[in-house]
Amino acid sequence: MRLTTSSARRTAAAAASIVVLAGLTACGTGSAPGAGSDGAAPELSEEEVTLRATWWGGDSRHPLTQKAIDAFEEKYPNIDVVGEFADWGGYWDKLATQTAGGNAPDIMQMDELYLASYADRGALYDLERTAQLDTSGLDPKVLDLGRSEGTLYGMPISTTAFGILANQDLLDELGLELPDTSTWTWEDLSDFATEVSEKSGGEVVGISALNNGYSLQLWARQHGEALFSDGSVSISPETLAAYFQQALDWTASGAAAPASHQAEMAGVGLDQTDFSTGKQALAFSQITQIPAYEAATGGATLEPVKIPSEDANEAKYSYLKPGMYWSVSSTSEHPAEAALFVDFMVNDPEVGGILGTDRGIPSNGAVRDSILDGLAPGEKSAADFVAAEEAYIGEAPEITPNGASELDTLIARYLQDVLFESQTPQEAAEAFIAELDGSIQSANQ
Amino acid sequence: MSLAELQRMTRGRGEPRVKQETPDNKAALAFLGPWLVGVVALTIGPMAASLYLAFTDYNLLEDPRWVGLANFTRMLGDERLHKSLEVTFTYVLFGVPGQLIVALGLAVLLDRGMRGLTFYRSAFYLPSLLGSSVAIAVLWRLIFGGTGLFNSLLGAIGIPSSTSWIADPDTALATIVLLHVWTFGSPMVIFLAGLRQIPREYYEAASTDGAGPWKQFRSITLPLLTPIIFFNLVLAVINSFQAFTQAFVVSGGRGGPSDSTLFYTLYLYQEGFGAFRMGYASALAWLLVVIIGAFTLINFWASRYWVHYDD
Repeated sequence: MRLTTSSARRTAAAAASIVVLAGLTACGTGSAPGAGSDGAAPELSEEEVTLRATWWGGDSRHPLTQKAIDAFEEKYPNIDVVGEFADWGGYWDKLATQTAGGNAPDIMQMDELYLASYADRGALYDLERTAQLDTSGLDPKVLDLGRSEGTLYGMPISTTAFGILANQDLLDELGLELPDTSTWTWEDLSDFATEVSEKSGGEVVGISALNNGYSLQLWARQHGEALFSDGSVSISPETLAAYFQQALDWTASGAAAPASHQAEMAGVGLDQTDFSTGKQALAFSQITQIPAYEAATGGATLEPVKIPSEDANEAKYSYLKPGMYWSVSSTSEHPAEAALFVDFMVNDPEVGGILGTDRGIPSNGAVRDSILDGLAPGEKSAADFVAAEEAYIGEAPEITPNGASELDTLIARYLQDVLFESQTPQEAAEAFIAELDGSIQSANQ
Repeated sequence: MSLAELQRMTRGRGEPRVKQETPDNKAALAFLGPWLVGVVALTIGPMAASLYLAFTDYNLLEDPRWVGLANFTRMLGDERLHKSLEVTFTYVLFGVPGQLIVALGLAVLLDRGMRGLTFYRSAFYLPSLLGSSVAIAVLWRLIFGGTGLFNSLLGAIGIPSSTSWIADPDTALATIVLLHVWTFGSPMVIFLAGLRQIPREYYEAASTDGAGPWKQFRSITLPLLTPIIFFNLVLAVINSFQAFTQAFVVSGGRGGPSDSTLFYTLYLYQEGFGAFRMGYASALAWLLVVIIGAFTLINFWASRYWVHYDD
């Protein structure tokens, strides 16, 4: 008996180590077939090829994307594309796990927050190595936001601009009129938002805090700084503290809801936010969210307006942010076909007609122009706003560096500390910069 | 089967054993096989892998890099880790006794042979089936939100309130502790089964001697139930340290507001999947194993002083 126990134990130990080794070998992505440095462009295969494509999004996106995939398969009968999708939160867990297991999808929808984190770790394919992807239809400033350290790892699908949405119906009800928003200052906005709260007797608040990476980047650029330079955090503690202070002031003056209410709303879906339920008159948003908010508010008239600036928009602080990207896995066995798919999804006018503005305003100028006539009013006003924003666009910023993909959650967390007054804006700013820089450093060791 | 064989089989462990014939072992292994494969591939294997990863810098996308004890020394200065330990210990300290007391109290009430016992037993057990589900955590948001049911109730009894209990750093954790206490069904059912084992004669004898209900509870029910209490306590402590779903859903996965519901497992998840620090997350997982192990050992050690077994 004793003998058999020990031999069973040995078997178990051996089996365990096999499992461990198998797990470890599967972890590596560096030695992937597509990532070699031989420089030769991959070629299209004549044989049957199966590609996996994955994306995140709401319910409306999945059937549209599947229709686009069907059109692709019809055009290239030897390529079979299998679609997989998830919601935003589950998507990144799944993608990280699949990539770690050596089972990454060939084509993945990518976000600016994660682009460098995946690219710098060798998980993405250099898109300019393939002959199948045409990038000439994109504005170079937009295309550059798909590059990490000069290499194109993400093909921008769409662009969006940051601004304020005003619920015109709500303002009419209150008998209020927006000031001249073409040159308004942050103080003008604060005053107006406070007026909304006062006039409605607290039923409706004016605004809620700025709370994401896009807005922080614009804030930094308005102050002559940048959120990131040379791959590390470069916003000054003072500028960041002012960003937090703004939110605190709005909460104190009643322009925005109390801290605990804002915290409760931090985790809800778009259709449950105060702005959607008619309890908030102005909201910071990516302008291309207009159709989504229109649906959520039950068809309110939403007016997109510029965010305030201190110098009547003299400094060209603005930039168009790619709404999302298509990337190709470095471990894909069919990078040429994958690039062909990306090219089709971004550049083909037929597909542009199918997808519309579901992923934002198409990044390809020709595709954008071809769909303009068929747009619904909300989509049209978003497209017009993005087009008008061209006048204020400066140099493209650095993308979120490797290790900083938690940027948005970090902003939300420190903002809560400030609003609940467990940290002063200055303390929060310093701690924020230290934590984010630490995260970037440990990722780039 | 010979008598000698039978004796050998029923003998205690300490006895010297005769070498068994091989065919028996093969059969045993064949029957154990499916379980063995499961344990090795799904439990021991991943655990061994995570033990290795705990000593590496591993971001999921690149190969793990050996860093020795760096992950463990990092823990010393990690303020969010300390915050998450504080949150988790608070949760265990209040949630576990709270849940067991409610479970025991209701079990004693139900054991009095009231009418419709089966109905009440099922009704009280229901929250346990649902409690760790996403739906209930969502419901909790609705009850304890700013415009939720709880505030309406307060308003109805003359205490108007618009506080969002789940979104105020001072009260958010308490609502999750309450959610945990509410899922008292499984310990309650186990207590009920334990109460059934206590011979009725003891109570009859006690009441003949003039002992009231409280005295009977203190001197008969509680001592005879200690093994069951111990069993429930050990399970509850282990489960509570691993609480995840409620906190994840109630706080939208962030442990907010202001990290006031940052449970240990939630932090571990954020580090592993959010920040791509899977090596550190593995080290955190092993720290949790050590913590739970230590508490379980302490529980077993302390049980010698308060748990009474019949024999």
